[in-house]
Amino acid sequence: MFVWMVNLNRIKLNSKQCRIYRVRVNDLEAPFIYNDPTLEVCHHESKQRNLNYFSSAYTAAVSAVDPDAGHGELVIKVPSELWKQGDEMNVLKVYIDFSLDQPKGGLHFVVPDVEGSMAERAAHVFSFGYQNSTRFWFPCVDSYSELCTWKLEFTVDSSMVAVSCGDLVETVYTHDMRKKTFHYVLPIPTAAPNISLAVGPFEILVDPYMHEVTHFCLPQLLPLLKHSMSYLHEIFEFYEEILTCRYPYSCFKTVFVDEAYVQVSSYASMSIFSTNLLHSAMIIDQTPLTRQCLAQALAQQFFGCFISRMSWADEWVLKGISGYIYGLYLKKTFGVNQYRHWIKEELDKIVEYELKMGGVLLHPTFVGGKDKDNPTPHLHFSIKHPHTLSWEYYKMFQCKAHLVMRLIENRISMEFMLQVFNKLLSLASTASSQKYQSHMWSQMLVSTHGFLKSISNVSGKDIGPLIKQWVEQSAVVKFFGSFAFNRKRNVLELEIRQDYTSSGTQKYVGPIKVTVQELDGSFNHTLQIEENSLKHDIPCHSKSRRNKKKKIPLMNGEEVDMDLSAMDADSPLLWIRIDPDMSILRKVEFEQADFMWQYQLRYERDVVAQEEAISALEKFPTPASRLALTDILEQDQCFYKVRQGACFCLAKIANSMMSTWTGPPAMKSLFTRMFCCKSCPNIVKTNNFINFQSYFLQKTMPVAMAQLRDIQNLCPKDVLNFILDLIKYNDNRKNKFSDNYYRAELIDALTNSLTPAISISNEVRTVDNLNGDVRLILEEITRFLNMEKLLPSYRNTITVSCLRAIRTLQKNGHIPSDPSLFKSYAEYGHFVDVRVAALEAVVDYTRVDRSPVELQWLLNMVQNDPAHYIRHKILSMLGKNPPFTKAVDSPLCNEALVDQLWKLMNSGTSHDWRLRCDAVNLYYTLFGLTRPSCLPLPELGLVLNLKEKKAVLNPTVKPEQGPGPAEVSGHVPIPSSVAPPPQGLKRKLDSVVGPLGSTSPEPGQVLQEEDSSKKFKIREDEIDMESPHDSQAFIHHHLNMLERPSTPGKEPTAADQALLSLPATPLPSFGKEANSSSKHGGGEHHHHHHHHHEHKKKKKKHKHKHKHKHKHDSREKERDSHACSNSPASGRSMRSPSVSD
Amino acid sequence: MADPAVMAGGFSAVVRSGGGKATSSPAENYQLARRRTLQVVVSSLLTECGFESAEKAAVETLTEMIQSYISEVGRCAKAYCEHTARITPTLSDTVVTLIEMGFNVDTLPVYAKRSQRMVITAPPVTNAPVIPKALIAGQKRTHPSHIPSHFPEFPDPHTYIKTPTFREPVSDYQVVREKAASQRRDVERALTRFMAKTGETQSLFKDDVTAFPLIAARPSSIPYLSALLPSELELQTLEETDSSEQDDQTDSENMPGNNLNDDPGADKENSVLPPGGVVPSVKASEENMIDNPYLRPVKKPKVRRKK
Repeated sequence: MFVWMVNLNRIKLNSKQCRIYRVRVNDLEAPFIYNDPTLEVCHHESKQRNLNYFSSAYTAAVSAVDPDAGHGELVIKVPSELWKQGDEMNVLKVYIDFSLDQPKGGLHFVVPDVEGSMAERAAHVFSFGYQNSTRFWFPCVDSYSELCTWKLEFTVDSSMVAVSCGDLVETVYTHDMRKKTFHYVLPIPTAAPNISLAVGPFEILVDPYMHEVTHFCLPQLLPLLKHSMSYLHEIFEFYEEILTCRYPYSCFKTVFVDEAYVQVSSYASMSIFSTNLLHSAMIIDQTPLTRQCLAQALAQQFFGCFISRMSWADEWVLKGISGYIYGLYLKKTFGVNQYRHWIKEELDKIVEYELKMGGVLLHPTFVGGKDKDNPTPHLHFSIKHPHTLSWEYYKMFQCKAHLVMRLIENRISMEFMLQVFNKLLSLASTASSQKYQSHMWSQMLVSTHGFLKSISNVSGKDIGPLIKQWVEQSAVVKFFGSFAFNRKRNVLELEIRQDYTSSGTQKYVGPIKVTVQELDGSFNHTLQIEENSLKHDIPCHSKSRRNKKKKIPLMNGEEVDMDLSAMDADSPLLWIRIDPDMSILRKVEFEQADFMWQYQLRYERDVVAQEEAISALEKFPTPASRLALTDILEQDQCFYKVRQGACFCLAKIANSMMSTWTGPPAMKSLFTRMFCCKSCPNIVKTNNFINFQSYFLQKTMPVAMAQLRDIQNLCPKDVLNFILDLIKYNDNRKNKFSDNYYRAELIDALTNSLTPAISISNEVRTVDNLNGDVRLILEEITRFLNMEKLLPSYRNTITVSCLRAIRTLQKNGHIPSDPSLFKSYAEYGHFVDVRVAALEAVVDYTRVDRSPVELQWLLNMVQNDPAHYIRHKILSMLGKNPPFTKAVDSPLCNEALVDQLWKLMNSGTSHDWRLRCDAVNLYYTLFGLTRPSCLPLPELGLVLNLKEKKAVLNPTVKPEQGPGPAEVSGHVPIPSSVAPPPQGLKRKLDSVVGPLGSTSPEPGQVLQEEDSSKKFKIREDEIDMESPHDSQAFIHHHLNMLERPSTPGKEPTAADQALLSLPATPLPSFGKEANSSSKHGGGEHHHHHHHHHEHKKKKKKHKHKHKHKHKHDSREKERDSHACSNSPASGRSMRSPSVSD
Repeated sequence: MADPAVMAGGFSAVVRSGGGKATSSPAENYQLARRRTLQVVVSSLLTECGFESAEKAAVETLTEMIQSYISEVGRCAKAYCEHTARITPTLSDTVVTLIEMGFNVDTLPVYAKRSQRMVITAPPVTNAPVIPKALIAGQKRTHPSHIPSHFPEFPDPHTYIKTPTFREPVSDYQVVREKAASQRRDVERALTRFMAKTGETQSLFKDDVTAFPLIAARPSSIPYLSALLPSELELQTLEETDSSEQDDQTDSENMPGNNLNDDPGADKENSVLPPGGVVPSVKASEENMIDNPYLRPVKKPKVRRKK
C-alpha cells in the first residue's frame, strides 16, 4: 500500500464471513475491529415491520461498509510508529491471517454424495457473487476502482486443479507430494471483485486454435466441452477485429461448474460458466444460447474486467459497452434480422418494465445525499448501491445500458463508437504496463464523464441531450400515433401524442423519424417533436392511382408487384412507421387500417415492422389478415421468428373468427404440406432437422395450433388427434440431431390444448370420470415421463414439459390437485431445469390452493437449499406469482409469515446480496411498503401515545414517509414514519440511553474526518490467500462465522484515543475464547507459511483495553446528512465490540 | 380310439397355453371335452364293478391311467404302421400293439358284448384345434413316375434344398410407418410399465394408484451428467452419421487426467508422445508446440523451504 497522506492511522478493508486471527502492518502487530452491519440489518428486538424502514436501514448498512466511500468491515489501526512517514511514498505491507469456515456465500462447494475420493466425486468449489462480493472469501478492498497487481497461491489436493486469474507460473508439489500449489501472477492491475477461483478435478482442454486459451470442465464432460468450445476463437477474432485491440490478458480460461450462481460470470482473464451450457453436436437449440453466453463473457473481459469502473454510477458504461459489442457480434454471427429482433425484444422488455415498475436510472447522482432527493422514489429499494438493487431491476439496467449505447451509435456512427472503445482500451493497456507510481492506473477505470469526453473528442458531436434524457433521467417515452389523409392537399396529417404523466414515462422533445411507404416508394421524414405540436403535415409524393400496373419500390430498393385492390382508392399510402430504427426508447401505439398492417407484414422487409404488424393484426380478425399471415408462414425467405410469431397470431385470429372460419383448422394443411409425407398426409416425415428454419417452424406450429378453440371453447378434436399423431409417428432414427426439444414442444402443444374441465361441483377427480381426450393426453405424458427415466433427454427438456403439463391438468380440474409429485421433483439432486419447473408448479399450487404448508416448504427451501440459484429462483417465482398480494386478504397472510420473511431478509440472507434483494422484493409484493395489515398494532410502550397511534392506524394513507427511519436508533420500535423528526430524535435519546451515546455528533469527529475522508490507495503486493487445499476440510468444519462475526480489535495508542473525543469504553476481549478455540479446531487450515507460528503469541496481547470507535459515524455524517450513524445497522456494530466489562 | 396325432396336438396346445388362466382356446376346449368323456368312462366302469361312489382323486388317477394307456396304444400302432411304410394304422397294427402290451386280444370281443355294459354318449362335438400350418416356401415337388403315389409326399423343399424365401416386402409406406410407430410405442409402454411395476411409483390419482403409474423421481448425486451427456442410443446414431469427431475425442483424453495424478516424469512423456501410436503428422507436431501451463509437469518441491 502506498500512503498518500500524512497521518494515515487506519486502514479499512472489506471482509465478510472470514475469521481474522491477526493483522500485521510492516511486521508490527496492528489492532483491528471487525464488524459487519449487513449481517443483521435491523435489530432483532425491533418490532418494526415496514419495508421503508428496512430499506433505508439496509442502505445505511451497505453504505457503512461501502469500499467506494472508503469504508469497510475490517478496520485496522496502523501502529503509530508508521504514521508520520506519509510524505515520501512509503509502502505499508498489511498481513492478515484469516480462515474461512463453511462459507455461506462467496465460495460455493459442490460435493456430490457418492462413493470415492473427492476427485472421483467431481467435487469442486468456485467463487461467485453479485457485483463486488470478493470480500466474502478474503479480506480486500472490495471495490471496482481499487486496482492492484496480484500474486496468488493455492494449495490443493494433487488430484485437483486450481484455476484463478492471471498466468499460472508454476505448479509445485508439497513435501508430502499429496498436494500441489498453483502459483498465479496477474501483472495487470485488477480490482479485487474481478478476482476469482475455481478448484476441482477438472478435465483440461487447450483450445486447438489458441493455445493460450484453456478450457476446464467437470469429469466426463470433455467431449461436450470440445464441441461447445470449438467456436470460441471466432468470437475472439471478432472482438479483436472490431476493437482493433488484442485481448488484454496473456491467457484466458473458461471453467464450467455445476450449480453456478449465474450462467456467465467474468473475472480477470477467466470466466466461470454454468456446466449446463455444454452441449453435444446433436443439440440445436442450446448452440446459439451457449455461443451467446461465450460472447457475453468475452465482451465483459474487455469492458468490465480489464477496464473497470470508477464508481457504481459508472456501471452503465461498462454494461452498455459490453452489451453493445455483444450486439455487434450477434449481428455478425446471427444476422441482421436476429439482431433487430433482439433489439426490439430488449426494447419491449425495458419499456414494459419501466411502464410497470417505474423508471430505470442508469447514472444515479446523489447530490444532496438526502432521502428526499432520491432519484427513484417509486422504487422500494435504493439504487445507490448495487447490493440493494432488485435483481430484476439490475437485469433491466443492463438491458437499458446497451440500448442507450446503441442510441449513441445512431448519433455518432459506429465508426466513431469503435474508435472511442479503442481509445479507452489502448489508454488502459498503456496504463496497465506502467508501474503504480506513474499514476496512470486510473486510465483503466472508466467513468461516465471520461467516456462522454472521449466521445466528444472523437466524434466532435455533442450528445449531451441524449445523455441527459436516457442516462441521467429514468423512464421511457410512450407515443400514440394516428393519421388522416387529406386528399385535397395530398398531405398526410400525422398526429403524435405522448403520455408523460403515468409512471415510468417521460416527455420526449426532439427529432423523430417517420417512414411512409407510398405507391411511388418509401420516404423518410424527420419530424420535430415539440412541446405543443401534435400534428405534423407530411406531403405525399404520389398521386393515388389505381389502374396503372407498376411495380412498387420498397425501402431497400427492391421493386415488387402488389395486389392493390385492398387499399383505399383515394390514398396513396401503403403503410406508415414511426421511429422505425428504434432510436428512441419508446413504445408506439399507432393506428392504421388493417389493410395497411397487412401490406406492412407482406412487403416491409424489416423484421421489426413485420413483428409489429403481426401484433397489430391480432385486432383484425378478417380473412384478409388470415391470408397475409398464412402467406408469411409459407414464405421461406422470411425470418423464422416472424413466422413463429405469425403462427400464434393466426391461432388468435382463428379463434376470433370461429363462426366464419372455413376449411381445416388453421395451419393444419400448411403443416401437412410442409412436414408430412406426400403419399400419406396424416403421417409426418421422419425427422430431418438439417434446415433450422423449418425445424423451428415445425416445433412452433403444433404449439400454436393447440391454442385453437371451437365454439364450445374446446380444442378441436382433429387438432388434438393431429398432435397425438405427430407424437405417435415421430421418428428420429435417421436424424443427426436430437429431437428432445421438438418432443418437448409437442408436449407443450398437448398442454396448450387443455381447457378447464366441466366441473361438477365438489366432485373428487378420479380415474373413472376422466375425459377421453384427457386420458389420451395423460397416457402420452405418463409414457414420456417414464421414458425419460430410462433415456433422459438433453437438459431433461421432456420432464420439464411433462411437469408443466401435469400442473395444467391439475389446474384445469382434470386430475386431483396435488403438489407431492412436484415436490419430489424439486428435491436437490434433480437437474436444475427440472427443479425449477417443479418449483414453479409448487409456487402455482401455493397460490391457487392457498396452501400454508407448501409456502412453508418453499421458504424452508429458500433457507436450506444448497444451490444458490434455486433459492434465488424460488423467491423470484414467488414474487412473480405471489400467493397473495397486498391488495387482497388471504389466510396465508399472518404474523408468523411476516416475521419469517422479515427475518429472512433481515439476517437470513446476509451471505448473498441477490437473495436478500429477492426477499425484499417478495416482502414488497406481499405486504407493500408499509406495515403489513395482518399485524397487530405495534406495541407502543413508549411515550409516544395517542398522536402516534393515530398515525400508525392509517399507514396506507401515508405510505411515503418524511423523515428517514434511520433516525430511530435500532432497537426502539418507534414507527418513525410518522414521528416528526425532532420529536423522534428526542424521544430516542430519552428512551434509549445508548450505552455509548453513540448518536450524538462529537466535535472530535471533525478532526477525524479529515484524514479518513481522504482515500488511500492500496496496492496489495501480496494477498495471503487461505488455500482451500482440501475441500473436505472445509466441509467438515462446523463453525458458523456468521453467528460470531466480531473479532476483537485493540487500541494500542493513547494518541489515537486522543483523536476521538468520544467516551471511550473499554472493550473486553470477549471474542478471544471463541477465537482461540476455533483456531485450534481449524488447525489444519493451511496458512501462508510466514504467518504460521505467531498466532499464539498474538493472543496474549489481546488483554488491552479496547475502545469504541466511531468510524462510520464520521463518514456518514459527511456524506449523508441524514444521520446514518444512528442507523440500527451501525448502531449494532458499534455496540457489539464495546460492551463494557 | 384316440388319434395319436390329435392327442399330441392337444397336449402341445396345453403346453403352449400353459399358465393361461380363464381364457380358453379352441384347442383347450377340445382337449377338455375328451378328458371329460374319459372320466365318464371311468365312472361307468367303476359303477359296473359295483362301486357306489369314488373319491375325485381316485377317478382322476384312473382317468390319467386310461389316458396314458390309450395314448400308448396309439403311439405303438403308429410306429408299427410306419414300420411297414404306411401312414394310416390298420387293425392288425393295433392288435399287434395290444399283444405287445400284454393284453389278451381274444377276450376283447367277449368283454365288448357283456350284458351290463353301459352306453356312453358320444363326446360333445367340438371343433378340432387348428393345427398351425407348416411353413410353405416354394412348390412341393410331385412324385416322379417311379415312386408310387401312395408314398408320402415330398416334404417342403426348404427342408432339403436351398430355397429363396422371401415375402413380397410391404412397400406401402403408410403401413411401414404405422408399424414402426406402434411397435415402438408398444415396446416403450411395456418397458415403462414393467419399470413402474417393479420399482417405486408415484401416482396422479388417489383413488387408483395403478392408473397412470409414474416411475418415482429419484434424485441422483450428479444430476448434470445424465442430463447433458447424450445417451448411448443417441451416440450410436451420431457415430453412424459422423465418425470424424470421434477420432478427435479419443486422442486428447490422455492429456488432462494423467497430468493430475501421476508422477511428473511419466506425464512429460505422455504429453509429448503422439496419442495412440498414430503416425505423427501435422497433428503431433502441433501438439508438441502447445505450451500451456496447465499441461506442464508439476514441479518437485524445493528443499530450500525447509530452513
